[in-house]
Amino acid sequence: MSNRVAVIGAGMTKFVRRAQESPGELAAQAVQMALEDAGLEMKDIDAVCLGTAPDAFDGIHLNGEHLIAGAGGTNKPYLRHYVGGGTGVFSPIHGWMHVASGKFKNCLVVTEEKMSPCNPHPAGAFITIFDHTTEQPLDLTLIHIFGMEMARFMHTYGYSEEELARISVLCKGNALGHPAAQIAEKITVEDVMNSPMLSTPVKRRDISPVSDGACAVVLSNERVARTHCKAPVFIDGVGFRLDTAYWNTRDLAFPTYVAMAAHDAYKMAGIDKPEEDIDIYEPYDPFNYKALHHMNGLFMDRSGRKLRELFDADQLGPDGSHPICPSGGALGVGNPIAATGLMKIAELYFQLSGQAGKRQVKKSVRTGVAQAWGDLMQVGTVVVMSGENRLPTTASMWNKMTSKDLPGTALKKVEDVPHFGYTPDFRYSWDNGAALTTYLDGFKAGKLRASKCNKCNRMMVPPRAFCELCNLHPVNDYYDIQDTGTVQTLTRSYVDWDSSMLPKGKERHYAVISLDGASDEMGICHWLGEVKVKDLKVGMRVKAVWKPEKDREGGILDIKYFRPLKQGERTSKTVKQIKPTEMDTVTGKSFPGAIPLNYVYTAGVGGTRFFEDLAKGKLSGTYCSHCDAVHIPAANFCEAGMIALDVNKNARVVNPGSGFVSSFTDVFEDRSGHLLSKPKTVVQVVFPKTVGSLFGVLELAKGDVVDVGSAVELVRSRQAGPEHIKFRLKKKRK
Amino acid sequence: MGVVVMGVGICGSFPSSGGLSYRELIAKAAATAYEDAGLEPEQIDGAVSCEEDFISGYSISDEYVPDQLAMVRKPVYTITGDFLHGLSSAVMQIRTGRFKTLVVQSYCKASNIMTKDEIVHFALDPTYNRFGVSPHYLAGIEMQQFIDSSGHSAEDIAEIAAFNRSRAMANPLAPYGAKLTGDDVIASRPLATPVTELMFARPADAAVVIVIGNEEAAQEMANDPIYISGTGWGSGNSIIERRAHDISEGTLVAAKMAYEEAGISVPQNEVDIAYVSDLYAHRELMHMDALGLNTDFLPFINPDGGSQGMGDLMEANGGARFYDAVRQLRGNATGHQVVGAKTALLHGWRGIPTDSAAVVVLDAEGGDNE
Ligand SMILES: [Zn+2]
Ligand SMILES: [Zn+2]
Repeated sequence: MSNRVAVIGAGMTKFVRRAQESPGELAAQAVQMALEDAGLEMKDIDAVCLGTAPDAFDGIHLNGEHLIAGAGGTNKPYLRHYVGGGTGVFSPIHGWMHVASGKFKNCLVVTEEKMSPCNPHPAGAFITIFDHTTEQPLDLTLIHIFGMEMARFMHTYGYSEEELARISVLCKGNALGHPAAQIAEKITVEDVMNSPMLSTPVKRRDISPVSDGACAVVLSNERVARTHCKAPVFIDGVGFRLDTAYWNTRDLAFPTYVAMAAHDAYKMAGIDKPEEDIDIYEPYDPFNYKALHHMNGLFMDRSGRKLRELFDADQLGPDGSHPICPSGGALGVGNPIAATGLMKIAELYFQLSGQAGKRQVKKSVRTGVAQAWGDLMQVGTVVVMSGENRLPTTASMWNKMTSKDLPGTALKKVEDVPHFGYTPDFRYSWDNGAALTTYLDGFKAGKLRASKCNKCNRMMVPPRAFCELCNLHPVNDYYDIQDTGTVQTLTRSYVDWDSSMLPKGKERHYAVISLDGASDEMGICHWLGEVKVKDLKVGMRVKAVWKPEKDREGGILDIKYFRPLKQGERTSKTVKQIKPTEMDTVTGKSFPGAIPLNYVYTAGVGGTRFFEDLAKGKLSGTYCSHCDAVHIPAANFCEAGMIALDVNKNARVVNPGSGFVSSFTDVFEDRSGHLLSKPKTVVQVVFPKTVGSLFGVLELAKGDVVDVGSAVELVRSRQAGPEHIKFRLKKKRK
Repeated sequence: MGVVVMGVGICGSFPSSGGLSYRELIAKAAATAYEDAGLEPEQIDGAVSCEEDFISGYSISDEYVPDQLAMVRKPVYTITGDFLHGLSSAVMQIRTGRFKTLVVQSYCKASNIMTKDEIVHFALDPTYNRFGVSPHYLAGIEMQQFIDSSGHSAEDIAEIAAFNRSRAMANPLAPYGAKLTGDDVIASRPLATPVTELMFARPADAAVVIVIGNEEAAQEMANDPIYISGTGWGSGNSIIERRAHDISEGTLVAAKMAYEEAGISVPQNEVDIAYVSDLYAHRELMHMDALGLNTDFLPFINPDGGSQGMGDLMEANGGARFYDAVRQLRGNATGHQVVGAKTALLHGWRGIPTDSAAVVVLDAEGGDNE
């Protein structure tokens, strides 16, 4: 039997569009606060687990490794987990495993997302979540597939855009009481309806914003919880389910994976009827329709009737019978992806222990559920928590928390602090393998191709070499199918993959099309063309328009788009078995890929001090009372004790000319592995009476020789960024 | 609660694997592991994968995990760690008592990445550590400090690389077996002094999949169970300015945890074979220090040739070691079998710029220390 696990403290930064803090600094601020709230110190923490969604936002490969210091993971057991947008609510589930397994007493759970460094727009990172061979060439982004999912949801459940707008109004209004909120506001349905259309039916105010932020909670076993916490809130049930990556093959109207995850969590928590047994709900709401879409999942109700009744009776607000997103959710508080999900867990902890201040819902609450979702519309993560009907604890710091009390420094623009750009050069060439080779060869031949599993008899597009639903049964039979089909859902989009608006008057139509001859649920995503706007509708029949044979290259763009079938145009569902491409070194091709992003980083609070000093030819460390030592480089937190430091008040002057080389290396290649014309020397330099060091390039004059122990000086630079941290050998005194 | 290895599968390693998509590569390893465990995937409760975004070429690469494992709509998540980190997480998951069997997966398609060094450079801190030079500079800094403080010479380190490459000749799965000497290694092209080209494992492609289960599951299986008697993981400081570069703090934390759980006090006497990360040759010696193994034990370290012989499989490095360890403990490692191996120590390190490590102890006759 598992050990019971409780949330005993929470901390978070403000959620802001652009933070001055580095990712690690954001995480550290949330951690310091969570420890304080829990009444624990870093030494009490046995393990740390961290959630952050993709590396592409923060702009750091191995981002989990980079965040170790900020998350409090230094010299501790530390793991980073992720399930895309579902990461925030998965984080306490992974933390729960740490404690419920009996392996650890106290586990610190940290989430962080700094989306603002990513350019041209953070949403552009989402092009790289799509299949690199069969989807990325279509210039897709999340808003496109959300448009299609929202359309499908509205089509199936009969919600109007105005009705969905009420969820934006609700969440943004709820967020007015949340200290971390980024876009809390009192708005009306008209405000939502009048906001710019991005990709039908998605409008600007249907969507949560881009955010930077961090959130942390402390999880403990029951014994620690009872001794340390005034009102522990227990994790009663957890569930997480991941559906297929072939998102075109799924029913987009109902999130089965959420319902399954909820079922797992309810079973563990002993909940039979969620709509009766659960008092408050924090469904993931990156878009307004998603809150309802997920509520259907959390109610495990494919009919959608339970929710519809509550929605029509206006019972979803903080005074209602079934409050949803009392925090203000992603729509109101903001959406630093992984941190948002954990913010929802923190909200359950606040609400179920009477610490939610003016957000405290009217009814008395004992049980709550939080949920997150993500990846390619495919993951559901669910946590059920319960309090013990304790009265609000007046001593709680959270009841009176305001935005001013929370850490996190909002910047108007990145130019206001030291900052630096970076353009990674990530290029790939993906082996197509047997199944996709036959598929892509089909495009060249002007044919759409499928493979057939002879266990479940599904005719699968794109073809696979195994069946994911039949225990990996090998699939060997390939067919030419028809290039006609039926539109399952569609969106008229005004935005490009990088979130920039398409030129005025231009729009692009994305659709999921189920193909004639393939199994019913098998679709592909593509563009629509030659179609009048008034004719665009779910269920329309379409046919592929191919490029001329000479221009076809063996890829999805060999189809220009799908056009409506003409009056009387005949179609069929017949298929024809073909011989798949035989693999050899000539046929076995690979498909090019790239990650087309660039980054602008702030120097962080510590880095700001460092580069401002460097511009004056100075160097300062930061005195840390935990270590009773001066840390170099300047730091706004101590990773050993996880205490806050002030880079200005705790600054200690260090002589920039007093360094000694502690290690060095001559490097023969550039960052891409190309040979340098002349090797560069990188040195690690220590300074007397400080803890830490600096790394930089040593500028060697002719005849200079470096060794361990060589005296060096830091070279003044007015430009910020690592490439401007340079050292020179100190001339020996005569 | 005892946790056992039920089945293992590998596809690789290969310098390149054209003709197999990453999905097909993984599906092959998965089918082998399920067959070895005597289970159909539908009988398995969930999956843990070990992947990093930019290596897979995706953001949020965990999206693409379920299909090729036949784990669609099951509890699945991804750990950005070495295979041994993911395994350790999966063991915790089973010990919650809520899961009976799990599959753990990792793969590497290094040959599909045109700009590998760029990706590692991108892992360096953007404020202080990206100098536009090869990210291997940090290995150079480390090796220099390690030589200064440990008493090991560059020649000792070169011997490690040569030894592992040579012994890989007995492992039919290892693409980089070669009869090299320490002198060859020293004389090879300088990369980031004192690190030379042959001290650094070259990349390769592979997928590794294993099935683990609780004791109840073990009773139903046909193979003799291999017990996972200890798991540990730890990370040194991510701020490289304040990290010691001549010891692996992460390995110290991981080893302490795993040894305590496995009841090991003098590892050198209590384990028969060890797999120690040798992505850079100096790291093998540095890790041995932290693991409490001295150089007398070298003949029993990395019998498969390690990453030097099998290639750098990135997140799958620990997986390839794990696959070999299970074969050794079952006594069917053929040409490179270490006779009588009953207890194996596994260590995985995440590579530059990290000091994050995981340690796992496997026991062919375990089950006595729960
Ligand atoms: Zn099938
Ligand atoms: Zn300190």
